[in-house]
Amino acid sequence: MRIFAGTRVLFQIALRNLIQARRRTGVLFLAVGTVTAMLVLLQAMSAGINDNMVTAATTLSAGEINVAGFYKVTPGSAAPIVTNAAAVRKIVEENTPGLDYTLERHRSWGKAVSETGTVQTGLTGIIPKQEDRFFHTLQLAKEKDYVEGGRDEVIGDPRQLSEPHTVVLFANQAKRLGVKVGDVITYKTETQVGRANTLDLKVVGVAKDLGLLSSFSCFTQKETVLELGQLDPDTTGAIWVYLKNIDDAPAVMAHLREVLTAHGYRLMDYNPNPFFFKFEDVQGEDWTGQKLDLTLWKDEVSFLSWVIIAFNTVTWFLTSILVAIITIGIMNAMWQSVRERTREIGTMRAVGLSRVQTLLLFMAEAVLLGLGSTVAGSGVGVVISLAVDAANIHVPIEAMASILLSDRIHLSVKPGTVVAAIGFLTTFTGLSALWPAIRAALLQPVKALAHVE
Amino acid sequence: MAAIVALKNVVKDYPLGATTVRALRRVDLEIDQGEFTVIAGPSGSGKSTLLNLIGCIDVATSGEVIVGGENTAELNDNQLTQLRLRKIGFIFQSFNLIAVLDVFQNIQFPLLLQGTGTAKEREARVMDVIEKVGLTDQLHQRPSELSGGQRQRVAIARALVTRPKIVLADEPTANLDSVTGGSIISLMRDLNRADHTTFIFSTHDHRVMEQADRVITIADGVVNAQGLGTAGSDGAGPNGSGVGA
Repeated sequence: MRIFAGTRVLFQIALRNLIQARRRTGVLFLAVGTVTAMLVLLQAMSAGINDNMVTAATTLSAGEINVAGFYKVTPGSAAPIVTNAAAVRKIVEENTPGLDYTLERHRSWGKAVSETGTVQTGLTGIIPKQEDRFFHTLQLAKEKDYVEGGRDEVIGDPRQLSEPHTVVLFANQAKRLGVKVGDVITYKTETQVGRANTLDLKVVGVAKDLGLLSSFSCFTQKETVLELGQLDPDTTGAIWVYLKNIDDAPAVMAHLREVLTAHGYRLMDYNPNPFFFKFEDVQGEDWTGQKLDLTLWKDEVSFLSWVIIAFNTVTWFLTSILVAIITIGIMNAMWQSVRERTREIGTMRAVGLSRVQTLLLFMAEAVLLGLGSTVAGSGVGVVISLAVDAANIHVPIEAMASILLSDRIHLSVKPGTVVAAIGFLTTFTGLSALWPAIRAALLQPVKALAHVE
Repeated sequence: MAAIVALKNVVKDYPLGATTVRALRRVDLEIDQGEFTVIAGPSGSGKSTLLNLIGCIDVATSGEVIVGGENTAELNDNQLTQLRLRKIGFIFQSFNLIAVLDVFQNIQFPLLLQGTGTAKEREARVMDVIEKVGLTDQLHQRPSELSGGQRQRVAIARALVTRPKIVLADEPTANLDSVTGGSIISLMRDLNRADHTTFIFSTHDHRVMEQADRVITIADGVVNAQGLGTAGSDGAGPNGSGVGA
């Protein structure tokens, strides 16, 4: 098409005009580049929090898919267990496409009590010999992190969970309970039939906090949970399913729902929330016996999604303000460029430049500026992100560590988000020039030629 | 000979605050293909307005402006742009070159807009006109590195490179010294004779008028007289067939 004829020379003119107006171009380049670098950094931080959440959640709170459920002796009761667990696990393992491995977690909900404090928390029962990933992810805290005047060293060994009546707490729980490794706490919960039951548990390790997740669980061995709940050995809290590709989890979960239904199991309606949010609803439902409840890892930590949402909201709010400032800056610069080059526009229009090509000329200038500055800015953002991540910086403020879901600053650069940042800001830069470019295109050649600067 | 330009009863008004200035008053004019015509008159007489209408960069308030057989009043902006691109070349008083392009690129610019020919063909066309205007040594210089005369030669080459039917020149020697101005006019006269391209000038410069086939004088927006220039009286160029206003 004719309107694209000479497009190359228009880009050439646009580029040379940018170079000619060095000072103006430099200021805008710096501004757009800085905003891009900030956006890339914030996105890397958001992705880092997300990574932390995935790691922490799929190690401590959930599998990538959870096959759990409730057992009700009476309509008003609700025990978060799966009966005949071995049979259910076998069906799951045989019918999960892309299966990596499965685990079982036994869970209870109650109070941890010490001489000086009480903490409401879940108690998760593990089978230590199957939990290499768990022990790898869980890092012990130094004693001084949970005991005033404590030693600057790590005390305890989580692998002692293989012994009965032992528990691993998180630092924030140990602090609130006022206990250290070797002390004994009492855990109080209700049995399947609603009777209170307690057990004394020896603290064999205190782990570093993993953000908010650390407030909702502590760990013991499977048998301890069964004993507390007076449960049959063939029951479990949840079967955790790990896939070779976590992205397949929603489709695989839908498939497992069909398979389990076909095997005669009753399934609860899909409810994307953690199991401890569901007690009240389940107790209010008029059924007894077993119902299975399938969830994704995201559902079990949905109460944490506000962290990501809040962080992303702040990111986009900041970016929007900066983009608005840049838009005004670029629009102003383009107006100035149109004013300065009005006679040149008139000349080119007289020679045969169409209105569309005039529009393209000024848009090209803004797009070239945008593309150059966003690519450079994102490069800087990526380098800073990688450097900060490699530096493994400690987060000194506990509240911030809770939000970041880690006591270290972790930034994760995703190529897709970098490309999106470049695309988004380049598009905005281009659109900022649209109105001045339209005005330039609508200039009458005779008036443009008569323009006196 | 067929008229390449014809104006019939053309009026052009400009708003000026609350009043209207009549720049052209019922102008009738015909210019034939291959003429070397001068439009002469004092400042503010309407010379540039007349050229702007013929060059399709402005539109008449009333009347008909026919350029290359097309009534410009019936054309939209795109069609007018096409008409300028295909049939008209412009030479401006202040040269009006694109500052960021070098000599070769400035001259090639209209060819790129036309989108005609291969890169080699375009290069051959550009080199041909560059040779004619004598700028082969300045190919890759920017306008700021050229003298006034050289810049005007670039403008002439740019106007001619598309092989237009009409070249319009608005006081092309006004910003040049007399020697350079004289050589520029001689160059255009030579090109007119060689390619039979129609040249229409506005000027006060008597040396330019002496070269013309026909001199159209205009005052207060009225075409007063259309006489033969020195060249025309010598029989060096085709005779005009204009009709006075």
